Amino acid sequence: MADVRLKLDQVSKQFQDRGGSGQVLAVDNVTLEINSGEFVTLLGPSGCGKTTTLRMIAGFENPTQGRIILDGQDITNVAPNKRDMALVFQNYALFPHMTIYDNVAYGLQTQRIPKNKVRERVRDSLAMMGLSGMEGRRPNQLSGGQQQRVALARALVTEPAILLFDEPLSNLDAKLRVQMRSEIHSLQRRLNITSVYVTHDQTEAMALSDQIIIMNQGRVEQRGKPKEIYRFPKSRFVADFIGRANFVETTVEMIGDDQCQFQLFGMTVTSVSHAEPCQSGAAVVMIRPEALALRRDESLPQGRVEQAMYLGSEVEYIVSLRGKSLVAVDNNPGSEIFEEGQQVGIAFVREALHLLPAEN
Amino acid sequence: MQARLGASQIRRVRQFAQDPLLVIIAIAVIVFVVIAILLPLAATISLSTSEEGLPLFERYLFDSTYQTIIVNTVVMGVLVATIGTAVGFLFAFVQVKLNVPFKRFMHIVALVPVISPPFAVATATIVLFGRSGIISRGVFGVRYDIYGLDGLTAVLALSFFTVAYLNLRGMMEALDPALDEAATNLGAGKWRTFRTITLPMLAPGIASSFLLLFVESIADLGNPLVLGGNYEVLATRIYITVIGLYNPVGAAVLCIILLMPSLTVYLVQRYWISRANVVSVTGKPAGKPQTINHPVVRWGLFLLVMFICGLIVLIYATIIIGAFTQVPGVNNTFTYDHFDFVINGLGREAMEDTTSLSIIATPIAGVLGMVIAFLVARSKLPGRGALDFATMLGIAVPGTIIGIGYLLVFNNPITATLPVVGEVTLIPKLTGGQGLFGGALAIVMVYVIRSVPAALRSGTAALSQIDPAIEEASISLGADNARTFRRITLPLIRPAFLAGLIYAFARSMTTISAIVFLTTPQTKIMTAQILNEVENGRYGNAFAYCTLLIGIVLIAIGGMYMFVGSRTGAERTIEGGT
Repeated sequence: MADVRLKLDQVSKQFQDRGGSGQVLAVDNVTLEINSGEFVTLLGPSGCGKTTTLRMIAGFENPTQGRIILDGQDITNVAPNKRDMALVFQNYALFPHMTIYDNVAYGLQTQRIPKNKVRERVRDSLAMMGLSGMEGRRPNQLSGGQQQRVALARALVTEPAILLFDEPLSNLDAKLRVQMRSEIHSLQRRLNITSVYVTHDQTEAMALSDQIIIMNQGRVEQRGKPKEIYRFPKSRFVADFIGRANFVETTVEMIGDDQCQFQLFGMTVTSVSHAEPCQSGAAVVMIRPEALALRRDESLPQGRVEQAMYLGSEVEYIVSLRGKSLVAVDNNPGSEIFEEGQQVGIAFVREALHLLPAEN
Repeated sequence: MQARLGASQIRRVRQFAQDPLLVIIAIAVIVFVVIAILLPLAATISLSTSEEGLPLFERYLFDSTYQTIIVNTVVMGVLVATIGTAVGFLFAFVQVKLNVPFKRFMHIVALVPVISPPFAVATATIVLFGRSGIISRGVFGVRYDIYGLDGLTAVLALSFFTVAYLNLRGMMEALDPALDEAATNLGAGKWRTFRTITLPMLAPGIASSFLLLFVESIADLGNPLVLGGNYEVLATRIYITVIGLYNPVGAAVLCIILLMPSLTVYLVQRYWISRANVVSVTGKPAGKPQTINHPVVRWGLFLLVMFICGLIVLIYATIIIGAFTQVPGVNNTFTYDHFDFVINGLGREAMEDTTSLSIIATPIAGVLGMVIAFLVARSKLPGRGALDFATMLGIAVPGTIIGIGYLLVFNNPITATLPVVGEVTLIPKLTGGQGLFGGALAIVMVYVIRSVPAALRSGTAALSQIDPAIEEASISLGADNARTFRRITLPLIRPAFLAGLIYAFARSMTTISAIVFLTTPQTKIMTAQILNEVENGRYGNAFAYCTLLIGIVLIAIGGMYMFVGSRTGAERTIEGGT
């Protein structure tokens, strides 16, 4: 059992409405624990409260209610500069009037560490980020990726108890983002530093995280390992937000203690997963696009290809089946590519079907 | 609901109070603003609404003499605002939209009126265009009566158009050229583009320039005193009511009448125009603005601007040459007498006093402006909007009102009777010869409050350009507010700080309207001395004062550039190859 490093205890944050009198509940009674060495991502659409939560952890916002506990100590009212954390900002927030060296040394100088020690640690940290030789430059003389590395080095060099990331990759172009993602991944695994990461990019969250916390409208929707969240989302919102999904309404019947069955396009399917809400009544079946396979097979339910988009690594289809439009993705380079308007048989990968509670 | 609001306010206060240094600074700033700005203003208002004062409102507002004065004031304000804005627009338009030579020269000439005492222009205009003017009589042979609305309007417009020029130029440069290109692309000609795109986009800037010039001109005291002749305006009437008639109540009432339009304009400016002022000023323009090549437009406007530039140069040349002539315009013999009088005679004291008091006030105003800007734009100080508003009153309120307010509040020591201790002096007598430091402290306070608003505005403008995340990054790395301000914020807003300093010094050296009430035999102020010389017809001495004053301001600006530096170090340095 790993020890709890950071704990949010029923934390809420209300903001004054822009208009004046009204109140907006940005974060609504969030409780979560983050273990030592864990990489946790707060993931959600814009306005879901993830950034506000991060800023409360950093101390830039004060919770309206609740407590924030670091290593067993209540830090709710501790000033942000007295918290043992370092934040990596979305737009890097490098000090534009200082050299790279001074930027990275800034936090250490604040801690009144002797000069030669500072020099040593700054040099090590810049070397680790592949920035040796850049000490004398100014931030605006570096590329976006280099600036991001400086921001990381500046945060890491202080050896904070917790490293906070506020959408740090969103300003980079697509290729660089993937590269930095993998650098952050290996860095975090190597240093084993407890991290809280905010993003709205689900791929980033999946790639980096030990744990993903999905937030919606100020609340935690679901928490789990990336695989759990993808395979067994608890709500339609989560299923839709992480990856893509088709949703089909159905009715569930109990056929045993914890087994149930339901109808899907004229077929009877027996549910096998333990993570499903197995109770009689209305439900929704989630089908990931890659769990649908198109075949020339008359014995399968027959659909029609409405749209076929060739994307190189995969082919994306929209097929209509019994009046329902489904998205299917085929990434098997060996399979046949169908044309728009063609009749096809549609197969389901049983194991990838997942039942969700019906929403009213 | 009430209770919850209260609780959230308490929490905000507590949050702000996390940093004791910030609290101490905030309290000091607020105390200063209350004592130096709000108290004098409140005193004027309360005297005007006293039992003695209230009947005077009726008397003044229904008396034909005073009605004429009020109408005169408004007419002058509207004329100056219209002409000044038009000239400012013209200069800005030529800079941004025309490809003509001498643009740099035009720009510098347009900036000149900022750093000179207004009398300089008025007096030089009399020498050039008055009854015995070098040009009016000497060249055209007319005995032109420059005194009155015509001369006053011309001089005020020339003195104040710089504000409109800088304001409109900034907006024109910020206009996205893509808008012009889009209009052209849709088939609009240059004139149609100007009429349907450029002009409407600049409307807020034009309106705000107009209002600023209106307020500045009706608040101006120096020029109407020198050039007004029989054309009396509120500012001069207030001056005469205090200095000539010694009727403080009457002056207070007139102050309030003058304050109405000024305050209205300030409020309109603050809540209406500033809101409409969000015209595409985000980010840098994508392309270069198209220039207008129509020869008549191009060279016509060029000649017009060059003519105005010539006029300004002529006026300033008159000041400098006049300082070396026996009786400017009459006896043009070369002489050092005027400088001898100013430097070695009576003027020396005034020069030293004014310069040293300005030197004291300048850094205070500069730092105060940046600190208030920080409190307003960055801190969670409760009531920071009110602090901003109160600080801006320092310039929104006409100087005459400030001067009278100071006389009313600080002419006697402010005391309080405490339980055990008995009577204690909270603030000693500040004004008059027996005031603290011979009245010098009051003058420094006025210098500061008249200069802080400009520093505050340039400070908040600079801060709004800086991502708050940069300061948060510093705090997140363990620095407290003070260290963050010193190491991060202040270096990044250094150009604004410099602008604030320059403005503060130039303003302090050249201001008259408030100071004229506060100068004492012990503390002589140059602008008041200049007024004295002009009123007695000793133009040569006045010109010598003005020349020295302009020289001191220019040297000080150079010094501040060297000392503070105009760059933040954050500018991109272009290196070969990278």
